[in-house]
Amino acid sequence: MQEPDEFDKLYRDHVDLIYRYAHRLCGETESAKDLVQETFLNAYQGLKDFRGEAKVSTWLYTIASRACMRMRRKRKGQPEHELSLDEFVPTSEGEFRLQIPIDGLSPEEALQNKELRQALDQAIEKLPQKYRMPLVLRDMEGLSAKEVGTIMGLNERAVKSRLHRARLFVRRELSARGITHHDNHESGGLHS
Amino acid sequence: MTKKKATAPKKRSKPSSHGHTHGQGHCVDLLRQLSAYIDDELPSDICREIRRHLGACPNCEVFIASLQHTVTLCRHRPAPQLTSTERMNMRRAILDMANAR
Repeated sequence: MQEPDEFDKLYRDHVDLIYRYAHRLCGETESAKDLVQETFLNAYQGLKDFRGEAKVSTWLYTIASRACMRMRRKRKGQPEHELSLDEFVPTSEGEFRLQIPIDGLSPEEALQNKELRQALDQAIEKLPQKYRMPLVLRDMEGLSAKEVGTIMGLNERAVKSRLHRARLFVRRELSARGITHHDNHESGGLHS
Repeated sequence: MTKKKATAPKKRSKPSSHGHTHGQGHCVDLLRQLSAYIDDELPSDICREIRRHLGACPNCEVFIASLQHTVTLCRHRPAPQLTSTERMNMRRAILDMANAR
């Protein structure tokens, strides 16, 4: 694609979506911006070959996901470890419930607690990329398992298996944190 | 959900520590299906079986509630947004990089 107007429309319509996804994958602002730039640079160069077989958003999510994996491989050479279901079976009474202040609160109210937001973000960040991606795409971006499969090049069964392990991992991390302080006095709006 | 014991023999008929009659195999089987249950992807007969198990196993009931809460928190976690200046600067940087290649 060489038409500036066409690129501008693509960018204007999707930059917020891709930044949100990138921030959730990367966990911090500068890496997220790098990922957005890499994504749209690839999109700029590849749009002439895009035949519209998938939604534009799915295509951009796919480009971003691949770019993210490339960037990760450049940063670290270590292979990602597999998560086994066995490791998520609780071994003590305290591990069954989340020790967080959520009873009687809406999710939005609960997430006004900065400590809880940080615990959730850190848990997601600790996930190996192959598990973080389906969690972010399915539970945070709201895509279907089929769409996640298209983006990641996996069948639905594999997506659901990874998603399940990712959820169990985050649950265990939150359970281990023991956040008991109610901290709902911050100003409204989006929290980082 | 019954506590996992590192060297526990697999006797499914042995009563668990919290007073119901099934063995830990049921709880571990349930663990494998919890996301599908939460996402309403299981056949109705399996769902009935799971609900029956949850009624008899307080730990599994607590565990599934905690997993549901985890998913709910993920779904509602807001993400930061770009400012208009950041959007504009990034667009310029992308076009500069594209033209330089």
